Amino acid sequence: MRRFLVPFLIVLLVAYASFAAFVWRSMRQPPEAFARVMAKMPGPVVFLLLPFETLWTHARAGDLQAGDAAPDFSLMKLDKSATVQLSALTAQQPVVLVFGSYT
Amino acid sequence: MAFFAVYILEAHPSDVWQMESNIKDKVVFASPKDYEERSLVAGACVRKLGIKFPALVDGFENATEKAYTGWPDRIYLIDAKGRIAYKSRPGPFGFKPQELRSALEHLAETKSSSQPKRDEPLASIGATDRR
Repeated sequence: MRRFLVPFLIVLLVAYASFAAFVWRSMRQPPEAFARVMAKMPGPVVFLLLPFETLWTHARAGDLQAGDAAPDFSLMKLDKSATVQLSALTAQQPVVLVFGSYT
Repeated sequence: MAFFAVYILEAHPSDVWQMESNIKDKVVFASPKDYEERSLVAGACVRKLGIKFPALVDGFENATEKAYTGWPDRIYLIDAKGRIAYKSRPGPFGFKPQELRSALEHLAETKSSSQPKRDEPLASIGATDRR
């Protein structure tokens, strides 16, 4: 039995690494694609087996760093009363941006 | 100091990745099909959560979300030179209002230390007066 232990552990390690690589790749996909993958995961398996938070933090690091110029944008206010340009705001004052959605 | 919510694509639309907690809270929405639908869900969000600061709705191509990797949620502080002063780690784990608070305090500190002390002009008036 003992001579099967090492091959078994190697198979387990390869399976684990493959699973981690798969999840990592999904995290690097656009949000809709990542969400579809996660929706199919059985229960909390991905959170229990992998260092999910660490992977997520790195996968979603993005290109921007503190000190970089904030990418400009022009978006309509929800109440449709005005269009807001970020560069016009930051010329006057600091701006906090809170990204999110209801669900 | 201006605060804006940037309303982006849904984190857990019911047709893609439904969450039990959302069902319990009666926050069940399918993926918006267009900008108008997204605005409707954004409106419900702002009303139900009582968000006091104004919301901007990201275009349906999600350009702003892509530029800022904002999904599912994230906090940025941009200084008055248009540079990123604080970028949170990606949400939900990295969404930490306390960190924003520290960043705001730090920004206020650096701003006040770079300005000349207010009593300097007064002191120089006093100095010329004494002469």
